[in-house]
Amino acid sequence: MGKKATDYTLQELNLVEIAREVNDGDIVIIGTGMPLLGVMLAQKTHAPNVFAITEAGPIGVNPAYLPFSVADPVFTMGATMVGGLTESLGLVHAGRVDLGFLGGAQIDKFGNLNTSFIGVDYNHPVSRLPGSGGANDIASCCKKTIISMAAHRKDKFVGKLDFNTTPGYLTGGDARKKIGYPGEGPLKVISPLGVFRFDEVTKEMYIDSYFPGVTIEQIKENTGWDIKVGKDCKETEAPTEEQVKVLRALDPAGVFLKKG
Amino acid sequence: MNNKVMTAKDAVSQYIKDGDVVYIGGFAANISYALTHEIIRQKKKDLTIVTSSFNEHGDQLVGAGCVSRIETSYFWMEVFGQCSCFRRAAEKSIPHSVQIEEYSNFAMVARFMAGALGIPYVPLNAIKGSDLAEQTAWKGDKKLKIMSDPFGSGTVHALVPALQPDIAIVHAHRSDENGNLQIWGQVGDIPWGAKASRTVIATVEEVVDGDVIKHDPNRTCIPDFMVSAIVPEPFASHPKPVQGYYNVDRDFIFNYIKLAKTEEGLKEFMDEWVYGVKDRTEYIEKFIKKYGWQRFQGLKSSQYSAASVNYGA
Repeated sequence: MGKKATDYTLQELNLVEIAREVNDGDIVIIGTGMPLLGVMLAQKTHAPNVFAITEAGPIGVNPAYLPFSVADPVFTMGATMVGGLTESLGLVHAGRVDLGFLGGAQIDKFGNLNTSFIGVDYNHPVSRLPGSGGANDIASCCKKTIISMAAHRKDKFVGKLDFNTTPGYLTGGDARKKIGYPGEGPLKVISPLGVFRFDEVTKEMYIDSYFPGVTIEQIKENTGWDIKVGKDCKETEAPTEEQVKVLRALDPAGVFLKKG
Repeated sequence: MNNKVMTAKDAVSQYIKDGDVVYIGGFAANISYALTHEIIRQKKKDLTIVTSSFNEHGDQLVGAGCVSRIETSYFWMEVFGQCSCFRRAAEKSIPHSVQIEEYSNFAMVARFMAGALGIPYVPLNAIKGSDLAEQTAWKGDKKLKIMSDPFGSGTVHALVPALQPDIAIVHAHRSDENGNLQIWGQVGDIPWGAKASRTVIATVEEVVDGDVIKHDPNRTCIPDFMVSAIVPEPFASHPKPVQGYYNVDRDFIFNYIKLAKTEEGLKEFMDEWVYGVKDRTEYIEKFIKKYGWQRFQGLKSSQYSAASVNYGA
């Protein structure tokens, strides 16, 4: 598996956690930012045959530089097919995409996400947020998803969402299975504090591993419900030296990667 | 032959009425800022704006007070930042309140597709189970329906209604004078959104001879009989890209986001780039004068051409 790195940032570890779920040959739908970097890392290491599509229409993409916009023309240059949203999200809706990426302002213990508003009344939001975009489609229909949370606090990991924009395991147990989405639901959640997975039966989120320098106590204190600890919970496995080297070469200008 | 070439000013004043449902095409690319800015200059009111995802084109229309209702899946600036006018209107009714009917991205495209094909509604695998199926702004039970598959699979689906806007505003790469619109690269939601609408007004990078269109008919997304007006406006999509013409102007987008955070900053931006110019030609002149020829040229696309194909019989 290669020599473990000792010099890496938590952001790099976060990206490696994304890459670890990308299997060779997977069809993935990507945007920009962290998921794009994570998928490119996988493509340049263990998953050279990953097939990436973007929401705007380019299919079989291999961007020559790291784009900031999901509609950057670099996605079309060198793509193997280009259409529109019907072609890209249509593949998602048909259940033909293996892996998609999600984020949100709030997440609950069943991996449901809110990206619509903060407040109690939909028509009078305290804070209005972007909305679903393609997230509801991706969460419902991609075979698997990975959720990245930009912050880990009690107002982000909440007991109850203000609005369920994007379904995870709904109310847990077999609720998701019963409603009959093409996709299976979130594989894991990555936050700045650690990695979380979902119980096979109850579908409740648990702590799978914690990042170096983070304690289980700290995660519990920053989570809005009494989060369970996985039976094999340990420190998150360090990246390999190769992974760190490849990542830094992918973003030499530091567009998305923070230094140090 | 029917020459539809006209100015943005004439196209907007002739074809857009207060209260219209206006589809604004483009998924973060090929967006006609030349026409959205003209709508703002003409102070159109009470519009319902619809598209799969809005960025600053929608934000500026909301900030200028042109919009009462929004149907979309997304209203933000991707990883660049937030749409502040959208937030001020939704949270504080500044300059006035707006209502937001929120669907998923694919649901919006499916609604346009249905509108274009004359299909009354589309059953979807998404939306069900989420609060998108529970909450509504003004459509009530007409937003969508949850229904069991009548063919007996036992699965429930969200049925979303077809959407047929009064008018589509799009930006194409090129057209002839009759309005056969050609777009290449990522087409986003433009083909379905435009064909779903009762008519289309389009800005184009170039007006070409009809023979150019007829030698490459696969690239035509929208046939001329659906189009009412063609406005030749190079750079009309700036700061968003047009494949093969120019790339995203990141600095310009960041500057807009920074300014739009306050009402004063928004006024400064609008006075400079919308009210302060009479058309896109003046906009380009201002851009070059302010930021220099080099930055303008720096936005131009690299060369990456297709091999030619034979369409012969």
